[in-house]
Formats: sequence, structure tokens, C-alpha cells
Amino acid sequence: MIDGIQFNSLSEFFAMGGYAFNVWSVYALFAVFLIANLALPLRRRKSILREQKRRLMALDAREDKARDPADSAGWEVSMAGDEK
Amino acid sequence: MAGRWQWFHRLGSPKWFYEKTTRWLPWLVGAMALFLAVGIVWALLFMPPDYQQGHTSRILVVHVAVAGTSLAFFPLMAAAGTVTLVWRIKLADMVAKNAAPLGAWFTFVTLATGSIWGSVSWGTWWEWTDSRLVSMLFQFFLLLGVISLRTAIENAETAARACALLAIVGCINVVVIKYSVDWWNTLHQPSSPISMQVGSPNGPEFWVATAVMIVAVYLFLAVSLILTTRNEILQRENKAQWVRELVAQAR
Repeated sequence: MIDGIQFNSLSEFFAMGGYAFNVWSVYALFAVFLIANLALPLRRRKSILREQKRRLMALDAREDKARDPADSAGWEVSMAGDEK
Repeated sequence: MAGRWQWFHRLGSPKWFYEKTTRWLPWLVGAMALFLAVGIVWALLFMPPDYQQGHTSRILVVHVAVAGTSLAFFPLMAAAGTVTLVWRIKLADMVAKNAAPLGAWFTFVTLATGSIWGSVSWGTWWEWTDSRLVSMLFQFFLLLGVISLRTAIENAETAARACALLAIVGCINVVVIKYSVDWWNTLHQPSSPISMQVGSPNGPEFWVATAVMIVAVYLFLAVSLILTTRNEILQRENKAQWVRELVAQAR
């Protein structure tokens, strides 16, 4: 055993001197609190990027189509000031 | 614009914030992981059982760190709110907006962990006559108030200003929480004086573990708030050229 560890066995560690429910529920809640507030913003970031990319590509496709003279007669004027 | 104020307005630029935090985040996350690991392992394995509380004192390392940090939310939102009211820098409002739900999480975890500890040490989960407990519950409702005020007011600028004012007024409650244990001491104990003596009831083996956890929880606050603020920037600035380039590069 590493010096300084306060428990003699794994079962003693889990038992927490009879307060297993209290100690472990607090640490479980702490873990949920940490993970939720890191993982949820990261997931949100992915969905934001995905959604904006789709929108950007749809916008590009529309501009390409408008630039194609084959099926866009009359559209050149409105597309002259290409959006930055 | 005067030169000495340039840094201030650059700080208020979403693009500047986004680029800076891209560089800071790996360091902040690394430091957070390190302090969390040391704090949790120390508190669970190496901290000796308290002479009165036994192993339930391991709860207090988490409770004290989260509770203490939760008091930072109203001053933080008030500072950001003041910047919003006076200089109308939109980055400040993005930070304030995302701080409110995180603060509600912090306050909820404070109440829950305190209650789970109290059920053993005080023999009760809740006590309505205790000023510390009730003022902390009031902070939770105040934060829910800030969140709903934001959604209730349709005009974004009016909502930002209303939330800023509520955050400034809400700071009074932080003072009440802080001194409640000294002013009307009923059940919740005042903060204990720390001791340098190893082996004493408040010796370094207890408070250093708590101090490590406080640093870990503050770093966590910073990382989480930076992540949500960056998301807000990506959404509100989606027409800006730099955001479009960033989106185009995303896989």
C-alpha cells in the first residue's frame, strides 16, 4: 500500500466508515456537474459548426447556380456585388 | 479612440477573445485536470478522517470549493453588467448571459452537497431558520430569475440591461451569504480558522486539499464559461468573415 492512504482495503474504501451513500453520492454529483458543463458546450459547438457549414454551403451552391449562364439568364445583375 | 483605451476595446472584440481563448484553453484545461485529479485523490484517499465527522469530512472538500466559488457569479455578472451598461461592449453581455446558468448549477450543487453532509452531521437535510441555507437558496432563485428575465424580454438590448441591473442588485445577497453565519448563527458553522499544525483538527492535511480543490473549481468555471461564450460568439457573429472562414475549415 502507498504510504498515507487512509484505508486498508478496497471494501473499506467503498464503505467510507458507514457513510458510503453520503460520500459517494456527493462525488457522483460532482462528477455529473463537471462532465455536463464541459461536454454539453462541446457538443453544442459541434452542432453550431455543422449547421453553419450547411447554411454556408447552401449559400455557395445558390451563388454558383446563379453564376452559371446556362440556367440563370437575367441573374447576373443581382449577383454582381458578390457577397464578401 | 485614445491609445490607452485601445486594449479595452480590443478586449471587447469577440474575435480577439475567440483567438486568445483558442490559445489559452489547452493550458487552462491541463491545469484544471491536474488540480482536479490531485484534489479528488487527496480528498478521497489521503485526507485523514476528521476526529468528529469521520469520513464525511471528504464531502466538505467538494462542498466548500463549490460553495465558495458560487459566490463569484453575482460579482462577475455585475462587473460584466456594468461594462454592458456603460460601454455597451457586447462581449461582456455574452459572458454575463452564459454565467447565469452555470451559476445556477454551482448553487444547486452547493445546496445538494451541503444537504447530504448535513443529514449526517446535523441530523437534518434542511433547516428553514438557518440564514446561510436560506440565503444560498435565495441565490439559486435569483439566478433562475436572471435566466428567465433574459428570455422574457424580447428586445435583446433591453434584456441585457435588465439582467445587468439585477446582477448588480443581487450582489447584496452575496454579502448576506458571506456574513450570515456570523450575524445569525443558528446551524451552519462559521468558517473555521486554519491551523499550520499537522494533526490538528484544521491542519494543512484538510485545508490544503480544500485549497487545491478551490483552484480546480475556479479553473473549471473559467473553462466552462469560455466554452459557452465561444459558442455564443460563433452564433452571434456568424456573418463575420473570420467566423465563415472558421466554419469552412471545420470538418
